[in-house]
Amino acid sequence: MDDRLKKALDFSKYRQTLSIQRKQLKEKLQAQLTFGYNGGIFYIDMTLITFVQMCIDQERTSNVPLIDSNDNPILIDDLKKFRDEIFDRYFSASFEYMKEYEQVKKSRTVEKLLDL
Amino acid sequence: MNKGVLIFAHNSRQVDYALMAIVAGGLAKKNLQVPVSLVTDESTLEWMKISKTISKAKTVFDKIIEVKKPVTSNQRLLVDAYTSKMVPFVNLNRSSAWDITPYERTLLIDSDYLVQSTNLSEYWDADSDFMIAPSMNDIRGDRIGVLDKHVSETGIPLCWATTVMFTKNKKTKLVFNLVEYIKDNYANYADLFRFNPNIYRNDIAFSIALHMLDGFEHSDYNYLPPVLTASGKDVIYEVMDNKIKLLINDDMSEDNVVATTISKRDIHVMNKQSIVRHAKEFMSLI
Repeated sequence: MDDRLKKALDFSKYRQTLSIQRKQLKEKLQAQLTFGYNGGIFYIDMTLITFVQMCIDQERTSNVPLIDSNDNPILIDDLKKFRDEIFDRYFSASFEYMKEYEQVKKSRTVEKLLDL
Repeated sequence: MNKGVLIFAHNSRQVDYALMAIVAGGLAKKNLQVPVSLVTDESTLEWMKISKTISKAKTVFDKIIEVKKPVTSNQRLLVDAYTSKMVPFVNLNRSSAWDITPYERTLLIDSDYLVQSTNLSEYWDADSDFMIAPSMNDIRGDRIGVLDKHVSETGIPLCWATTVMFTKNKKTKLVFNLVEYIKDNYANYADLFRFNPNIYRNDIAFSIALHMLDGFEHSDYNYLPPVLTASGKDVIYEVMDNKIKLLINDDMSEDNVVATTISKRDIHVMNKQSIVRHAKEFMSLI
């Protein structure tokens, strides 16, 4: 096989592996950001965090109905406690994602990509 | 409310489902921190004694529930990388899970579903009596066909009974009774919903039951997460440090294989022999 073609095919294999590894990381993050609370299932994203913090800033801190990921209204009795828990979860998951993403970015071979 | 995981395992001559159940049960117990029970039969228990896996099973399972092995001529294609063969498949008693489960809130999983994260713990207290995975999520991302999403080419959406969570009450009894009825009249429902009646699939029976109970419409149920799935053609080649390394195939050519690593994610490994080959490594993770 022509060396140029072989190198291109090797690179394509690397790119395929990279793309699948990135997909795994992204889906792992999504799973980690799924949060069950008081019978509801919330997906923690910046919108939820911002809305919760805004409610707290407006002094609505107890008995607040929030709409969960399944569109069910869930009564949050202590919004500050809820905020602290989603904050913790968001940062632990996103730091882990960042760390693993950086590793993926630095990995220049298929073998290194698989060490994640 | 007491909660736990339930796994069914009925061995065939070709597949050691009991060994897979020990792996799946051990991982579920470790990661979800709840008791796990096994539903099995006399001959499978006998094999567990002969193969000396019974002592491990006793440490993994909270209860080992012996039931009569369902008599079936059901057969499935067992794919192991590039080889495949038709093998007997005993899956007819899943609808009895409601009666058998020792738990008030049960997570029913397949014996080839490996729980490696705490993700499903988020659903124990969800305000829903019955939840099922709404879809499968291919590990590679581009190998999902029409029949992975629908019961037939023109049929209703397919749910995946690989993971089912339910609370034992009158409402959920209705679901399981209907699944049983659909199983008993599978050929008639195959005519109605236009699917292949030759292989009984719990996924199809549950999908139809939910469709019927929702008034023959698609409802926005509260669902469990989609089932991350490695196909029968994918092969586990290493299990180490809570990581599973797999070779995954592109379905087009046997030569086009890429590798991937799964860590801290739950995965449905359809290549059963691949789990059995790596059972020893999986056991070390339990």
